[in-house]
Amino acid sequence: MRKILNVVPLLIFCILLAYLFVLLNEDKNDLTSALIGKEIPVFELPSLKDPELVFENKDLKDLPALINVWATWCAACAVEHPFLLELSNNKGVPIYGINYKDSRKKAIDYLKRKKDPFKFNIFDSSGDLGIDLGVYGAPETFLISKKGTIIDRHAGALNSDIWDQKFRIYFHQD
Amino acid sequence: MKMRYFILIAFFFFPLELVQSNAKEVYPNLSEQEVGRFVDLTHNLRCPKCQSSSLSGSNAPIAIDLKKIIYKLILEGKSNKQIKTYLKDRYGEYILYDPPINIFTSILWFGPFLIFFLTLLVILIYIRNRSTR
Repeated sequence: MRKILNVVPLLIFCILLAYLFVLLNEDKNDLTSALIGKEIPVFELPSLKDPELVFENKDLKDLPALINVWATWCAACAVEHPFLLELSNNKGVPIYGINYKDSRKKAIDYLKRKKDPFKFNIFDSSGDLGIDLGVYGAPETFLISKKGTIIDRHAGALNSDIWDQKFRIYFHQD
Repeated sequence: MKMRYFILIAFFFFPLELVQSNAKEVYPNLSEQEVGRFVDLTHNLRCPKCQSSSLSGSNAPIAIDLKKIIYKLILEGKSNKQIKTYLKDRYGEYILYDPPINIFTSILWFGPFLIFFLTLLVILIYIRNRSTR
């Protein structure tokens, strides 16, 4: 009995170590969104390409879809851009863009130069819609259900691994 | 001797004084009391981008935006609780420094008590064993 008791502290220590080790490997940069299960926040913002045109929630028609928050000043956005093109062109995934705190001219040039994967872009120059969405940096990608609720959010560049893990099952195109 | 105490006390208050006067310059039109609330809120909300830092200690673009929002909400007459709820609804519990009590955080809340009582138990057993020997 005494011998068993002697091992207990070591055992507790090992469990604690394992627990902390798991926590250490957890990706803290990808926070869980506070909006999961909720509707997309109400917005009324101009189009990126046409300042006269105003987009509202009801314009997000083709669902399920991705909403991608991006900007020309964001390096990781350029990294994920080819993957967004692949999703939209080859896999038929609808992607709506939110151009976040950017210059209109630069953003339009960027899309001309690198091709445009978006169905349309909302021009959020003040970043207010970004704050309503809990965006804390670009790029961020939101997965929107058929009913228009937010299912998941990925903060950081999107790639095929994350697509397979988190988003793919919601689209039956591929 | 008294002077020494005075310097020590002044030393403690100096940074806060500085922060308050800075806040007043960058965010005008706040009353004395509102500046205090602003400083308090930005010190006690986490920057979601640079997570080991408070909003006040961060110059990440998102921290600057959130400070502007807090400023705006204070000017609109919102209470501290309303402002915290506003941010929590968008950025999650994570932005508040006080973790909620749930199954994941229970180890933080109750772990220390558990360890305390376990230690007490071990000590008691040890003492009893020693006295019976």
